[in-house]
Amino acid sequence: MIKSNSIYKYGLSLLLVLMVLLPLVVTSSFVLEILVRILLFAFIGTAWNLLGGYAKQLSLGHAAFFGLGAYTSTLLQINLGISPWIGMLVGGGVGLLASLPIGWLCFRLKGPYFTISTIATANVLMLIFLKFRDLAWGAEGTTIPNLGNAPLMMQFDNKVPYYYILLGLLIIALSITAWIERSRMGYYLIALGEDEDAAEASGVDVVKVKRNIYMISAFLTALAGTFYTQYIYFIDPQTAFNFNVSIEAALVSIVGGIGTLWGPVIGTVLLETTTILLQSYLGNSIGGIQLTVYSLILMAVILVRPTGIVGYFKEKSQARSST
Amino acid sequence: MTQFSENRRKIVKATGSAFFASGLSAIPLRGYAADPVNIGALYPVTGSMAQIGMGCVAAAKLAVSMINDAGGIKSLGGAKLNLIISDVQSDTTVTRTETDRLITGSKLSAIHGCYASALTLIASEVCERAKVPIITGSSSDMLNKGRSYTFTPFARASQFAQTQLQMSKLVSDRPKVAVIFENTAFGTATSNGIKELAASEGVEIVMFEPYSAGFTDAAPLLNKVKASGANAMFSVSYLNDLILIVRSIKQMGLNIAVNAGSGGFVMPDFYKNVGKLAEGLQGVTHWNHDISAESKKCNEEFKKITGEFLFEYGGGLIAQTFMLADAIERAASTDPQKVREALSTLDVSKGFAAMAPGGRVKFGPDGKNIYGRPIGVQWQNGDLASIFPKDFAKASILKT
Amino acid sequence: MLETVLQAVVNGLLIGGIYALVSIGVTLIFGVVKIVNFAQGEFVMIGMYISYYLSTQFGIDPVVSVLISMPILFVAGVLIQHYLIRRVLGLNDLPQIFLTFALSLLITNLSLMFFTANYRTIHTWYSDEALHLGGIYIPYAKLVSFVLAMVLSGALWLFLRSTDLGKAMRAASQNRDVAQLMGINPNRVFAVALGIALALAGAAGSLLMPFYPAYPMVGQVFVLMAFVAVVLGTLGNVLGALVASLLMGVAESLGIQFVGADSGLIVVFVLLLVTLALKPSGLAGGWRK
Repeated sequence: MIKSNSIYKYGLSLLLVLMVLLPLVVTSSFVLEILVRILLFAFIGTAWNLLGGYAKQLSLGHAAFFGLGAYTSTLLQINLGISPWIGMLVGGGVGLLASLPIGWLCFRLKGPYFTISTIATANVLMLIFLKFRDLAWGAEGTTIPNLGNAPLMMQFDNKVPYYYILLGLLIIALSITAWIERSRMGYYLIALGEDEDAAEASGVDVVKVKRNIYMISAFLTALAGTFYTQYIYFIDPQTAFNFNVSIEAALVSIVGGIGTLWGPVIGTVLLETTTILLQSYLGNSIGGIQLTVYSLILMAVILVRPTGIVGYFKEKSQARSST
Repeated sequence: MTQFSENRRKIVKATGSAFFASGLSAIPLRGYAADPVNIGALYPVTGSMAQIGMGCVAAAKLAVSMINDAGGIKSLGGAKLNLIISDVQSDTTVTRTETDRLITGSKLSAIHGCYASALTLIASEVCERAKVPIITGSSSDMLNKGRSYTFTPFARASQFAQTQLQMSKLVSDRPKVAVIFENTAFGTATSNGIKELAASEGVEIVMFEPYSAGFTDAAPLLNKVKASGANAMFSVSYLNDLILIVRSIKQMGLNIAVNAGSGGFVMPDFYKNVGKLAEGLQGVTHWNHDISAESKKCNEEFKKITGEFLFEYGGGLIAQTFMLADAIERAASTDPQKVREALSTLDVSKGFAAMAPGGRVKFGPDGKNIYGRPIGVQWQNGDLASIFPKDFAKASILKT
Repeated sequence: MLETVLQAVVNGLLIGGIYALVSIGVTLIFGVVKIVNFAQGEFVMIGMYISYYLSTQFGIDPVVSVLISMPILFVAGVLIQHYLIRRVLGLNDLPQIFLTFALSLLITNLSLMFFTANYRTIHTWYSDEALHLGGIYIPYAKLVSFVLAMVLSGALWLFLRSTDLGKAMRAASQNRDVAQLMGINPNRVFAVALGIALALAGAAGSLLMPFYPAYPMVGQVFVLMAFVAVVLGTLGNVLGALVASLLMGVAESLGIQFVGADSGLIVVFVLLLVTLALKPSGLAGGWRK
């Protein structure tokens, strides 16, 4: 037991060093782009996993917080000249606060009802931002002013700093997840995820636990929103509250292993790599072929191994250790 | 500046580009089998705008073959244009990554794209920072603000609005117009122009409403139009909604003149789907296939390839490719910054590069074509005829 | 003014009929099999394409083609239940939701591959004509689809009420374990449920063809409304879904008319939230205590 623990720690440190040094070795902008995408969705997935994986509250509306974070920092930047670094934290706060009324509304519903209501929330936010031009540029959106290389305003002329920002965010999210896993809240979360009624009957304050985890999940997701806007230099309601963000967050966690620390990361690596391979081999010769293959793979994973990749390995090691 | 070009060199070397970029950018190759000039094309070949995207790609390929068949870029030893197409999947994220990938993966001299304003805005931002010129037919006025690498040879959204308003007076002396528009960038930009200019054009707006694109039924919307007492309707919509709107107009017994602006309305597909109901409907485009002898020629070639007439955006991008060729020719270089310089001094009034309403292209400091203006069109016998303004009209107005 | 309101109500009811056909399928599947079928809209799309090809190749009227599209989709439903759904039953929500979601993605993109993104429309002799009653216009195509939607819904309701299989389905929906103890084969019941639900979606598609263009993404336009109707009408309740659909159609239409052309959906959501606040399980559920 002690041996495997220290192997784990050793491996982890090695991985960390590798990830930190990677951009210095990789010069291909294309590969860096892929790494950025992987880190971004691993981060969003990890944030989602707290609520959707551990607590098993399947939200497909996390784009709501993503968008709120994105708009908050952009509004602060363009209207008040405040740096997106600060804007990002404020955005996280806004997301966190938003999770309170949204949670209040949606948690009253169970199962698929809950899911549909989260989808509706993100949709409603998109509609609001589309409609009110005076609020935040309306449907047309806006571009981030071109400041060239401005580290203090979170704009860089090459991809490497973006990579490090995301790496930092991911490490934070994973640390939070690991800490929660080992904490009392973690016990409550997992109990709640397994069987909400039983947990409640055992004295777990289900409402409070759900609310707290939602706040953390929302906060982190909102940070990603700010990052993303700074990265693509553009924001509009359809991009900010895009359903695909909600989907991908859940997807990577499911494929990788819901309710596990590394699930979202592994899921992201797998799915993104698949996408890129598909893109290079099949290209765009026939419209729809990429997503067809993608969805087939997804279905295969869900049918064959619903607990995800990490889940599979966990089961295997549990089986082994019990013999 | 120097750090950036240093990174570029590293990237190019690392990706093992076959085009020995540093050499190309410094010395024009003469007397060799000249290396091709890379032009990037960003269009939504898949996703919700797939249809139009595919049409654009067909037009882009046609343009390049036309230029190459005529001898390519003579100042670069007959170098051929090499079109590198990238699918932006009708998605903003993908546009960002694809634009980047295109620029860093192949040494590009210029780019054209992306049809939808939101996508083009993103591509334009990336191009601005990467210092690669992008030329586009997208009408968003934002594309001319605060950037120097974006060139727009055709009419802007605000100009469309004015033309649309003027055309409503063709129908009635005291037009009462209901304006309905889809609530994203495309619809909002165009319709705002309409609102601002209506009074000065003597047109009364009796209804001004955004709607959510992709609705299940056009009847409620049209019911509202009917109740407003309008005698003309401006619709800024994507194709699927337009089909429903036009068909519902008949079903609801609504007697109203329709000017559906641009977008899906001026695609052959629109006629295929609504048939005779399209006859007499008016629109505004930034390009049409009957504006000049050159455009008619392109139309014929396009018809041979796709079986349908050359639509607005497709024809426009053929002209744009010729403009790029003209710039590269004058720059005698594939370096994107030199191409940008050459584009900014473009001044053509004949040939395929001048294939624009009015027949002249010259860019102002904001990348706008100072002679750019829209063209009013009308569906006549299954085809689009240019009818407005009088001096550009190629056909008389069909009374319905 | 009255005319405008009446017309708005009529418009709402007519489209509500289509919403009903789609949402009843979703609610049936949820009630009996206890999963949410995110791919329901795609089967509407399939129904549309089936009718499109039957019309253009064989000249069969779309309304008549319902007789063909429904059986085809029924079989599809049974197959999907047998090979796909069965394998994720008994697991928690996540794989179930994502399975149907992946299915939705798959069907949409296969359609994109085979049918291309072009819009397909059919023009029948009645496509552009309308019944003119007083000042109200009722397009024939929509009227026919509404009537048939009501007929099919009624037929389903009767089926569930009176036939053995229907009762078995209701039993399985209420309590699967007890139903099993009573000798009801759940898989058979589920297969029928899926078959019927998909058949209804196919019917919706066929009935849409005379006035709506077909394209790979069309399913998603209707499915959102269908889901809201399902929740509004209480999950699993067929009659509830029907009533909710009609209500929503009217609410949407009136919302567009009097609140704002882009506010149809918002009005519907408000309707949903208000209802849930008073009756947390939907229209057919109990009042808030």
